[in-house]
Amino acid sequence: MSRKASSKLINLDQLFKVVIWLIPLSITAIFIWILSDIVIGGIGQISWAFLTTNPLDAGRDGGIAPILVSTFLILAVCLVASVPISIGTAILLAEFTPNQNWFGRLVRRSLDVLAGVPSIVFGLFGNAFFAQTLGLGFSILSGGLTLACMVLPILIRSTEAGLRAVPQEYRLNSAALGISKTSTLWHLLLPAATPGLLVGLVLGLGRAIAETAALIFTSGYVDRMPTSLLDSGRSLSIHIFDLSMNVSGGDSNAYGSALILILILLIINAIAAWLGSKYNYLYD
Amino acid sequence: MKKKFFTLLAVSLSMGLGVAACNPVNPNSKSTKLTLTGSSTVAPLVGEIVKRFEAENPEVRIDVQTGGSSRGLADVSQGLNDIGMISRSLKDQEKTQFQSYAIAQDGIGIILESSNPVQKLSDQQVVDIYTGKIDNWQQVGGENAPITVVNKAEGRSTLELFLKYFDLNNSTIQADVIIGDNQQGIKTVAGNPHAIGYVSIGAAERDISQKVPLKLLSVGGIDATTATVQNGSFPLSRPLNLVTTETPSGLTKEFIEFAQSENVHDLVEAQNFVPVTSSKLVYAP
Repeated sequence: MSRKASSKLINLDQLFKVVIWLIPLSITAIFIWILSDIVIGGIGQISWAFLTTNPLDAGRDGGIAPILVSTFLILAVCLVASVPISIGTAILLAEFTPNQNWFGRLVRRSLDVLAGVPSIVFGLFGNAFFAQTLGLGFSILSGGLTLACMVLPILIRSTEAGLRAVPQEYRLNSAALGISKTSTLWHLLLPAATPGLLVGLVLGLGRAIAETAALIFTSGYVDRMPTSLLDSGRSLSIHIFDLSMNVSGGDSNAYGSALILILILLIINAIAAWLGSKYNYLYD
Repeated sequence: MKKKFFTLLAVSLSMGLGVAACNPVNPNSKSTKLTLTGSSTVAPLVGEIVKRFEAENPEVRIDVQTGGSSRGLADVSQGLNDIGMISRSLKDQEKTQFQSYAIAQDGIGIILESSNPVQKLSDQQVVDIYTGKIDNWQQVGGENAPITVVNKAEGRSTLELFLKYFDLNNSTIQADVIIGDNQQGIKTVAGNPHAIGYVSIGAAERDISQKVPLKLLSVGGIDATTATVQNGSFPLSRPLNLVTTETPSGLTKEFIEFAQSENVHDLVEAQNFVPVTSSKLVYAP
């Protein structure tokens, strides 16, 4: 190879290096830009009173206490309904149906379709089914169950991936020791698949907590402190949407609420990471 | 691990049973609970009125839900709510089915970014801009720049009112940007010196006082201010109405009367709307 050609190659190398660095840098820059915009706009609003008082003057003044409570209740309903169903379906898909089985493929395909359905469709479905057919009305229960339908695909697919990642030798060894399939599942496979489930939970919760369209027709718009799961309750995302879109002069509290929403997301991420490392430590 | 899974399972099962046991609740069956649905323009105002009403009547619970004027009418005709909220007058063919009670007045003003040199547009010029016959600001005395036409999404009552006043058809409008709510319209025009849009005058006035770079143009020679909306001279205005199918009675009547009373005029003004002069009110019989 001539000297000229090799120096050309080195230049090309340098160019690639720059490009490869630029891409992640620009992505990080966008994230930091959004984050700092929200922090700058919202930090002045955050105080203990903001977290513990009721909204006043259509949300321009006062705090977000009932909205925080509603948000957590909606998420709790969503988790309680979706986690058992997801684990069950994931076990069926990963452990009890062979890879090429028609039924497994049908379930997987429908989950993939479900994952791509726009959230407003879930909202209208939730309104028609949970709120009207089941008579739950605009309520935290309707909202939480609608979100559960929405996060099912994410939860199931990531739990399934977690189960499939467990080496086949585990199952064989367990069978060789005469341990039943059920015991293997409970004591070996599920704990080993927990990190996968946690990843799914973080992704699912992230999607759920940011949801507006699916909730406006199910959990509703009421910003009173909820007293039961059958009360309507406004979620943080709807509060932010309403303040920035319908209430003139609501921007500063919208920023404050957005900052709280992001903090909650970061905390959920941190808890999941911590739980994941704890499980890995216990079962490795 | 096992225990945790069983607890989860038990909780979700019992919740499922609880769900099944709940029968559809007729919103009219309890006289201490009301549900209102409809216009996202009216909802924040009614929400504030509700808070004051609940404070005076602690046994009452009123839920306010949004979704647009059309939804408010659909819900009230299907009995899904007790009162609908619409941000327009009833159309003639709707008057046989619904009754409306005005609680406030809202004017719609045409807005430009404040650095735009254009100070005035005639009704015909507005029509020509929205139908694409005029597409450069130079043609109406402005800079040489293309006009960004901001229009409202289908189903918004601001759009219907705008179309009716200017005698336009939505399919002939050449819009560059389609927006949903007032605030979105304000943000779009405030961020684009060549844009034109139309929003609630109260909202625009409030944002202008907070130094958002906007200006309101007069319509039909009348200044766009809350004062001209209140005295009825501003042509492009709309009432915010509560709607029922039957003649209101009981709690429904009490609430409508409260929402029309002078007790709530400060709330109406705080939401940038204009209280209805009492001589023009239609009261619940």
